[in-house]
Amino acid sequence: MTTIRRLGFAVAIVLAVVAAGTGCTVIPVTGPYMVGDDGTGGDPLNKPFQRMIAIPPQPNWGPEDTIKGLQAAMAAYADDPSILPQYLTPEARSKWSAAGPVKVIEDAFEIAYPTPRDGTETVLQVTLKAQWVASIGTDDAYAPTAGAWDGGTFELVKTQQGGYLVNKLPAGLLLTNSDVVRAYRPANLYYLNADMPDRLVVDRVRLRMKPTESFARTILERLLEEPTTALRDAVTTSFPEDTTIESIRWNEERVLVNLSGPLDPLDLSAEAALRAQIRHSFADNDVAKGRIIEIQVDGETYAVDRPDPADPWLDDGGDTAYFVDNGAVHFMGKEGPAGAVPGAAGEQRAGYTDFALSKEETALIAAKTSTGISMAKLAQDGRWQEVIQGTELTPPTFHRDGSLWTYDNENGVLLRYDPTSGRGPERVAAPKLAGLDVARLRIARDGVRVSVTTGENTVQIGALISTPEGLVLGNFRSLTTTEMGDEIVDVTWSDDEHLLVLVESKAGQILSEINVGDGATVGVPLKDRLASLAALDDRVLGEVKTDKETKIVELNQDRQTWVPKVESNAGSPLFPLG
Amino acid sequence: MWRRSLQLQVVTSTLVISVIVVVVLGTFLFGQINKSVVDSSQQSSVSDAFADRLQIADALAPDTDEQTKTTDTAKSGAANPLDEVMDAVTGSGEDGSKKRYDVLILNPATPGQSRASGSVVRSSVPPNLRAHLQRYIRNHEYGKPVGNVQQIKFPGENQPRLTFVVGGVVHVPTSGQNYEVYHFFPFNEEEELLTNVRLAIVVVGLGLVLLLAAIAYLVARQVVSPVRLARQAAERLAAGKLDERLKVRGEDDLARLANSFNEMAANLALKIHQLEELSQVQRQFVSDVSHELRTPLTTVRMAADLLYDAREDFDPMASRSAELMQAQLERFEAMLADLLEISRYDAGAATLDLDPVDVRDVVLRAIGDSEALAERHATRFELRLPNEPCMAEIDDRRVERILRNLLFNAIEHGEGRDVVVTVGADRDAVAIAVRDHGIGLRNGEDTLVFDRFWRADPSRARTIGGTGLGLAISREDATLHGGWLQAWGQPGEGSQFRLTLPRTAGADLKGSPLSLVPPEIEMRRTWRGAMTPVLLPASADGGGHDDD
Repeated sequence: MTTIRRLGFAVAIVLAVVAAGTGCTVIPVTGPYMVGDDGTGGDPLNKPFQRMIAIPPQPNWGPEDTIKGLQAAMAAYADDPSILPQYLTPEARSKWSAAGPVKVIEDAFEIAYPTPRDGTETVLQVTLKAQWVASIGTDDAYAPTAGAWDGGTFELVKTQQGGYLVNKLPAGLLLTNSDVVRAYRPANLYYLNADMPDRLVVDRVRLRMKPTESFARTILERLLEEPTTALRDAVTTSFPEDTTIESIRWNEERVLVNLSGPLDPLDLSAEAALRAQIRHSFADNDVAKGRIIEIQVDGETYAVDRPDPADPWLDDGGDTAYFVDNGAVHFMGKEGPAGAVPGAAGEQRAGYTDFALSKEETALIAAKTSTGISMAKLAQDGRWQEVIQGTELTPPTFHRDGSLWTYDNENGVLLRYDPTSGRGPERVAAPKLAGLDVARLRIARDGVRVSVTTGENTVQIGALISTPEGLVLGNFRSLTTTEMGDEIVDVTWSDDEHLLVLVESKAGQILSEINVGDGATVGVPLKDRLASLAALDDRVLGEVKTDKETKIVELNQDRQTWVPKVESNAGSPLFPLG
Repeated sequence: MWRRSLQLQVVTSTLVISVIVVVVLGTFLFGQINKSVVDSSQQSSVSDAFADRLQIADALAPDTDEQTKTTDTAKSGAANPLDEVMDAVTGSGEDGSKKRYDVLILNPATPGQSRASGSVVRSSVPPNLRAHLQRYIRNHEYGKPVGNVQQIKFPGENQPRLTFVVGGVVHVPTSGQNYEVYHFFPFNEEEELLTNVRLAIVVVGLGLVLLLAAIAYLVARQVVSPVRLARQAAERLAAGKLDERLKVRGEDDLARLANSFNEMAANLALKIHQLEELSQVQRQFVSDVSHELRTPLTTVRMAADLLYDAREDFDPMASRSAELMQAQLERFEAMLADLLEISRYDAGAATLDLDPVDVRDVVLRAIGDSEALAERHATRFELRLPNEPCMAEIDDRRVERILRNLLFNAIEHGEGRDVVVTVGADRDAVAIAVRDHGIGLRNGEDTLVFDRFWRADPSRARTIGGTGLGLAISREDATLHGGWLQAWGQPGEGSQFRLTLPRTAGADLKGSPLSLVPPEIEMRRTWRGAMTPVLLPASADGGGHDDD
């Protein structure tokens, strides 16, 4: 054997041993190496949920089981409408309809018999007693309701096979709170400010989850419809009428929304607003957050929306905090006072209270005096100037268009002063406020929603409706009413959908953050008594007045503790707008 | 092609065997992978389902302490325990994430105690599975889960999905309630995985088969190529190229085969050379002996002539001896002449004196020379000559000798019957056939007749004193012309010798104008074949080949 052959043989043996050794290792130890992302960059487009499965009435069920079964069938009606009619007599089937608002009651309901029974009756009257929780309107708005529900009278008919059928029942669907929690999800939809369509306005709805479609599609389908009655005519949409959804598909990094309808792929005038509406309606509901959204019209790409932190569609008009020291307005930096504002507003002056700031772009400040409302520019040459006269005016509030608003209780009119018009204050129609004692009026940063405190203990939410005749303050509905004797100290917008309400009760102060869309209330713990509030998104500033001094405290990020921000000579915290 | 190509046979066999092996291995491998994937999936699914059922049972039947707590919390608005556990099991809670499976809890006896996640509905449950669980409930057997793999079409989906459904009963002893819990595990990922694995196995198997075929082709080529070279070398060796050798590469078996072949070829060449030398010596010896015998024979002849001429003066006994001696001396002389002639052929010294000659004249001359003998044997000649001249470039002396030999032969073996001489010609060749009707030739003798000193019946005496070299010399003469001398004969049918010569000297013969088998024999054979084919003898007669 030659040397080369021997060498070749040795190499072959070595290779065979290496190959055999590698073969023994099922998963070889390797790395580190680059790995592909598994697509967890964005939120899913679906939300898991559970549903009630309805059971047809059973012959061995008594009246209580039959009513419970009927209620369960109502809970499952949207998914499976075939079971509920099996509970009804032909007469009831012909009369009853699921249309109308959905009544939501507490889980623990009680079934009572108005008349004594001996078990042999063929027709039985049954009353369902429960605590009313809320109602979900046909516009999907969730309205919390308190008190006992007393509309639940049912008539049961005994069948020949045993068991009961329902002959009479209240109209519409009756769900328990658990049914709603189980099958509905709160969702925020974004529409455009009808008066200034450069700003999105949030609308809150309760959407019924559908097992056969993604939550993203449910949201988008609802977005194509009208807003809730609270925002009707106050907002608009960039979707043309009759726009429909062809499909929503997604992969690891991209969501493809294919629309159909009168959208012109060549007309991109509404493209940015449409993108913003879809993006925020998805992202605010934790759907497709962080993913690229491609909008198609009949399969052709119309717009591609990439996640962008600099978003002008939710502009709050500035995020600088201010405070007032003896009538002088000061900037508040991260560490504390950061100097007085320029012009007259930065000078100490008595008699000026209830300050309000416009958005930083227009740099205006307003304050209430004993004779009316004065306004000054936040500039070196800024001088206080009385722009609205009156002795019973509510504290001033700025609209994002730069106008100054107040309610004149003396004349019962809502006044709007536009500094750029060169005219005096003009009246804005607010028919629902006529005759009411308006204590406070604050326009939200979206320029649409308005909180109005009437009397001492009621907060109503209205909206600025855009009509051909001009703006009208309407669409009012009650948000909260405190108990008699309690007094609302201050109200301020924290963001577009949350209102902070500070109430002075007999037991002490209560600070609540209320969602203006569905009335969901979260309590905020207080440490000191607060005199006034200012809030912008997560930042909440409070004015604490003691005998010796006035200081400003800030609510911590954990929303549990307050930390001093400016220790002395600081009151009336302020943020632009809101 | 198949029988001749070893390479094709090897490649085809390898293909067939490797296809069988790959199919068997692939089937086994896929079965194993399928089993392990499906088993592990089912195992984990059953574990998940079991854990969920435990959780559900735990939630629906809290112990006494927890019951008190639940009562307390129920007052403050806590959710239904079934809802809570469904949230936990299906990931429907606030921070829950979607589970890979859907769950259906069915309690048909109690209102509002049935739940589902995903798009599962009551009709999604396979009926036989449901029947199984209901039998369990009737028999109070609660611990046995049942599995079922089935294509299920869920609401809102276009295609049915392969789903593994695990069903189990959760029995709540405190309330006596029975909950049928069904878990729907999608198996489409496993199905996709196994489809990919199957595709991979098919592709790899196909590749392997092709690779094996290619390897077999290369290996076969490696082995067959030297064998083919050896075959070609052997063929060339057989054709007389004794210096043909194989190239020897390496030391393997094929190299040793080549070595052996080369040694064999060398030995063969040596032996042939030695035999040629020996043959040359023998020929030289015969030639020398013949030459040496001529001189004393001439003297003896002269003396014998004297004695012969004076025989009448002798007494009858001596006279007869003189006659015999004379006759035998003539034969001796003829034999010596023939030996010298054939020695010339052996020595390669024979040359042709070519002239364009009409073959008919040559035939007539040869017949003229043979007539005396024919008369003695009472034999008549029948001549069949063409009318046109049959010109050919021949050495007429040699051709005449051939014809004389053939005629003497025919007379000697013709037993007094007619001898037919036929001349034929075509564009390229002329042919003369001499036919006798004597005892004929036995099978195989048609080639032996041209051997030197061969005789059909050694016991039979030569009546006309032939030397036994006549036909051998004739054949050499014919060969020298580039022609053929062939014989046909059958016992009892006589024989025929045919001489075919090219018209132009040196031209290759492609056929003969005359048939080797006499026409009447051919006709008879055809006639017999047409009438009674079954009675034909098993083997052909000694007529041999016909080059026509």
